Amino acid sequence: MEQREVRDIDALNAALNSVKVLRSNVRRVFESVSNGLRSDHGEDGKENKYILELQELLTTVNNNLREVEGSVANLTPPPGPFTLGNTTYLSQETTLERQQLYGQLVNNYKWTDKIRAYSVLAGDIFESNKFVKTHKSTNLLVNQKRRKPHAIHHNVPPEIIETFINGIGRFYNDMTVTANRPAGPNPVIQISLGRVFKAIIAFKGLIIEFVTVKSLSENNDLWSESRYKVFRKVSDHCNAAMCHFFTPYSADTSIKSYMEWLHSYITLFSAPCKGCSKRLNSNMPPTWRNFTTLEAYHEECK
Amino acid sequence: MGVTILSQFPIDNRTGPQTIEMLTKRILALGSVQQGHFLVDCETYSSVQALGHQRSVHVLHNSEQPATVFSLLDTGTKIIPLATDGLFDLLMMKMASFYQSKKQTKAESKGPRFEIADFCVKLGTVTVSSNFKGVLVEVEYKPCVIPALCWELILEFLQGFLGSSAPAAPPAFLQNRMQEIYSPIDTIQQYLEHFTHFRKSQAPTMMMRPQ
Ligand SMILES: [Zn+2]
Repeated sequence: MEQREVRDIDALNAALNSVKVLRSNVRRVFESVSNGLRSDHGEDGKENKYILELQELLTTVNNNLREVEGSVANLTPPPGPFTLGNTTYLSQETTLERQQLYGQLVNNYKWTDKIRAYSVLAGDIFESNKFVKTHKSTNLLVNQKRRKPHAIHHNVPPEIIETFINGIGRFYNDMTVTANRPAGPNPVIQISLGRVFKAIIAFKGLIIEFVTVKSLSENNDLWSESRYKVFRKVSDHCNAAMCHFFTPYSADTSIKSYMEWLHSYITLFSAPCKGCSKRLNSNMPPTWRNFTTLEAYHEECK
Repeated sequence: MGVTILSQFPIDNRTGPQTIEMLTKRILALGSVQQGHFLVDCETYSSVQALGHQRSVHVLHNSEQPATVFSLLDTGTKIIPLATDGLFDLLMMKMASFYQSKKQTKAESKGPRFEIADFCVKLGTVTVSSNFKGVLVEVEYKPCVIPALCWELILEFLQGFLGSSAPAAPPAFLQNRMQEIYSPIDTIQQYLEHFTHFRKSQAPTMMMRPQ
């Protein structure tokens, strides 16, 4: 199959080449005819010399034409008409700048094709290095209502994200979720965790992109830090956890595990550290939570 | 504004300034930074006889909320708190014929203010009409507004630098408000509790704690 394709392309190249040669020699004929007699034909028998030259040129053109016919006969005609979809209409464009669109379109297509090939490869590699990042209790939650996994999680219809976010709020009665969409379909949600803090979470499709934790009395700005040291620390841990819980194939499971983990901060001010059994270390409460056991630890004790 | 615990520190046989100096050294050793000074003052007005049953109005200011005047109306059976703006002071002057300031009762607590991580610590020297009465230590944990959630955390902090003098239980005033959202007037109520106690005591309080 591949060999045939290579042969086809070679034949096509040869045919194109012979057409080019033919055109160039036809041009020489016309040049010669338009110039007529020239000084380099001399004085004696100049008409004869000119006729000889013209004959020679025409013979070359004849030969070239035969070559073209020969090479065209070698080509295999395409089996049917090409289906170009909507791009066919581009060929009907009359304005010059739009005619170039086709070339760009083809380049784009090639590029997307490559990305696809690479991501399939990357996916295979991830798949073979899979390890379990969710806790057992979360699996219960997932089994309750298993949604068909989406192939591409950063490009999910807003309705699916909407129902998903509402689901989080319904599952935990001490987590209140409000969503808004400052930039297109990707929501920024505020989760109030009891009366402990609120987390402002930016989504890209079903993938968590950025998290900021603040006191309930602070503003909802995603990009400004909390004025309290403890919430700045928790923000850092939340962003690190986001990378930990991320799984390329099941964004919904990873968000559910993440929410389960975030929910464990309900004891931020009250739980003693599992490592040193104290509440304070450098005047800070335990700001880190174990990813699987959800136990409280000081940053220094984990 | 977070949960604040006010507790009295026994001065034993030290003077007031010595006690403050000792506590300052301890809190600095923990790594805190001094951030200015603070002042909480309290003046008490009593209703004149013409108004019938006697009531008191306690008017307090806290340098932490400089634009607010706190007043607590004590009817004898219950205390009604009120947070208003600075005009309330002028209103009290207008009411001079109904509510008269009790002589020799102006109480205040003032001293250095420290910050360490999310804690704010104030070491107050208490005077009642310019007589030294004792030392009050105020500890605020700023990120948390529910006393029940962070009482043990604050207690651990208090034990860290007051040692055995740290309180054993939450202040009486807070005990049945542990699940409610803490607000600045709750700090004021704690100060009033201590000021009332100090006014009754004759000499600087040695080992006694209110309630
Ligand atoms: Zn620890």
